[in-house]
Amino acid sequence: MGYTIIKKLAETKQTPKNSPNSETMDKRTIRFLKSRFQQYYKTAEISLPDHLPNREWAFILFDDLEDKIMRRHKSFGSPGEALDYLYGMAPAHVYNSTAYYEYPNAKKMNEKNWHGAELIFDLDADHLPDAPRNYAEMLENVKKETFKLMDFILDDFGFTENDIELVFSGGRGYHIHIPHPKVLTLGGSERREIVNYVSGRDLDFKYFFRDVAMDGEYGTGSKAFKGMKNVPTKCMLLGHDSGWGKRIARYLADYLKSESGKKYKKYMFPELRRHEKVGSTTVNKLLRIANSENGLNDILEHGRLDFDVRNFKEIASYFMQESSENFLQRFGASVDEPVTADTKRLIRVPGSLHGGSGMQVKKLALSELESFEPLRDTVVFGEKPVKVNVSKPFTVQLKGKDLRVEEGIQEVPEYAAVYLMCRGVAEYGYRRDQPNPL
Amino acid sequence: METEQLAYYPFVSEASAYVESLGVSLDSLLNSRAYRAARARGIERVKEALEGEIGKSSLNGEAQILSELLSYPFARMLVACIDDQLFTRRYALAEAKAAYTLLRTESPDFLLDFGEDFGISAEPRETHFSMHFTDYIRFSNSLKDPAWKLTNRQLRAGKVRVTREEFARLLQEAVRERIEQSFPIPEIPEEVSAFCAPHAAGIKEQFEVQKKKFGATDFGVVEPGLFPPCISHALANVQGGVNLAHSMRFAMTSFLLNVGMSVDEILNLFNVSPDFDAEKTLYQIEHIAGATGNEYKPPACETMRTYGNCVGKDGLCEKISHPLGYYERRVFLKNRDREKEEEKEEEKEKAGEKKNGEARKKGEGKVKEEGKEERKEEKSGKSPEKAE
Ligand code: SF4
Repeated sequence: MGYTIIKKLAETKQTPKNSPNSETMDKRTIRFLKSRFQQYYKTAEISLPDHLPNREWAFILFDDLEDKIMRRHKSFGSPGEALDYLYGMAPAHVYNSTAYYEYPNAKKMNEKNWHGAELIFDLDADHLPDAPRNYAEMLENVKKETFKLMDFILDDFGFTENDIELVFSGGRGYHIHIPHPKVLTLGGSERREIVNYVSGRDLDFKYFFRDVAMDGEYGTGSKAFKGMKNVPTKCMLLGHDSGWGKRIARYLADYLKSESGKKYKKYMFPELRRHEKVGSTTVNKLLRIANSENGLNDILEHGRLDFDVRNFKEIASYFMQESSENFLQRFGASVDEPVTADTKRLIRVPGSLHGGSGMQVKKLALSELESFEPLRDTVVFGEKPVKVNVSKPFTVQLKGKDLRVEEGIQEVPEYAAVYLMCRGVAEYGYRRDQPNPL
Repeated sequence: METEQLAYYPFVSEASAYVESLGVSLDSLLNSRAYRAARARGIERVKEALEGEIGKSSLNGEAQILSELLSYPFARMLVACIDDQLFTRRYALAEAKAAYTLLRTESPDFLLDFGEDFGISAEPRETHFSMHFTDYIRFSNSLKDPAWKLTNRQLRAGKVRVTREEFARLLQEAVRERIEQSFPIPEIPEEVSAFCAPHAAGIKEQFEVQKKKFGATDFGVVEPGLFPPCISHALANVQGGVNLAHSMRFAMTSFLLNVGMSVDEILNLFNVSPDFDAEKTLYQIEHIAGATGNEYKPPACETMRTYGNCVGKDGLCEKISHPLGYYERRVFLKNRDREKEEEKEEEKEKAGEKKNGEARKKGEGKVKEEGKEERKEEKSGKSPEKAE
């Protein structure tokens, strides 16, 4: 299945992107990393997936890095078996299937007999619109995206914190696993619909603004009767307190607020002024709403857009459509679509090490996310000095300390040595054809 | 449910349990005079499906109810004997549409019960239903109108708001899916196939005629001139020696396989670049073709867009959601035009060769203004409306 192997490798991004390929790693570097990983796996706490015997496992061993061979179709009947394998083989990369199979170790995918799969979200720095300046900033951006996604997962989809598992990927982002009974049998296209939802793609604002006949609490009473031409209506924002409706309400309210805070009236609401029906009367009315006590609250809490501005429905949808890029950037979550849509995905195992960084793939409680610092909290190796031969100058902040290495042979703490070697910027010790200068 | 309702909705679990409890033997269903009406109605069901719509009239008396009820398993046997995936889909769609027509008039309580049979749990609210979003997308997914997109829905704590009518429409999808997935029926007894053979043959023949006339997805000769822009563009690239992105390579290859090109033909298409690796390419094509056990459908337009593979979108693209749909449509239009031409030729022959050139010109520009009759045919000739 050579083709599948290559394809899977390409998709799972087992090394951070700008690391030179581990293909060129020399034998002694491999031996060193393997022994460090082995030591880690001796005592590591691996968070094994539920229904362990139904999961497929896959590994890339240090010795196979060069040939990019992934050993797939393995399964373990018991936790002991899995842990023994990790300790015995000390793999560079460890994955298991998001899917549950009857025969996880069958060699052909269609013989495995798929029973279902967790819902997975992959938040990866590669998929974010803004290019970060450095690794730390990149991780910070991804974290923000993760918070946005969590709002969808908890609020819109109604999952609880117990339903989900948040994992730092050991590389450039986070994975969210949802092994909830309701999602397990969803197919690929249904999962794609979920991705579309959180990204807001296909969002059409016209479904959120509606004219409703005036009556009751906010209406002026039902003066209208059948046959009358102008039945009084009010503009409502549908579902203003949940889902996308909630986000639209916030956006509109924020906009009114920030525009009305401007110093000169003529600079207010420039986006709205582009609409033919907006003149200074409308602007004045909007201003009054924005500055009144209940104006913005009416939007946020009641979805009320029936100010005495005529055609407000039309104006509001026009405005949202015009601002949709900005709106989606603020509220939409960018997740890696193919990952979520794939019902037979292999994903890194929490507690294992990422062979492209030496960092831990780490499970987090939601409350830990805010203060989580990958470069500090997922470094598992110690301080013992190790000789390395660095191929190019490199800077990184590890364990809260700035680490700067120059080209050539030097000693660094073990945790830094592992990191540099995994990233492919250093080799273990010194070259055979060079004398040991230390 | 009352037995009468079971007869209207014979695909619910309760109905099959009821039929089973009647203990009608296969032999008597096939041969007994008592079930002649059931058999006739069964054949009618399938024939009506071919036309696009299964009619359901009110049932009077136990005998009619029983016939209606038993006509369903009989119809299914017939469909199984016709043994054509496309026809099975057509049949499932027709049954589901008929169910929807009835469901629209049912009470909320009935709809909720009905939904439960399909694993949909919904709660009644004052003016609408509230259902779990995973149940919602399972069935809304095949519906194209943007109003069905989850994004355009009110979602709160996992629950989506739908109107009663919308709920019934989702149930139609559930019915369609259930019927579609109940085929093929494993191991059809000898006596059944013997009995069905003559009827099956007739229907199949009619269906083949429809397919030829209107394209469907069983494409005849491959017509590269009718490919959608994205695929033409990729083909041009391949032949110009440009390397395709993996996702586009996949989309193109699976498209070509689906319209009926052979692995060898496709291999030849790729064989233009100097670094052509026949073995590797062959492996990839065969992989997509299903030599390894999987058969892949080309991605839908939406996915194409996601990967930036939707290139050169044209007017027809607005009307379809799948590159295969694009091709299907153009094949259909072309065949229809050709038939018109042929008709014209015949007419001309009869009427002598007068006004020759003029008639031809008119025929060419006439794609949009065809008569009502033809439009109807077009509708029934189209494959089921499920999007990828
Ligand atoms: S809309 Fe669909 S068929 Fe048309 S070019 Fe794009 S992907 Fe191809």
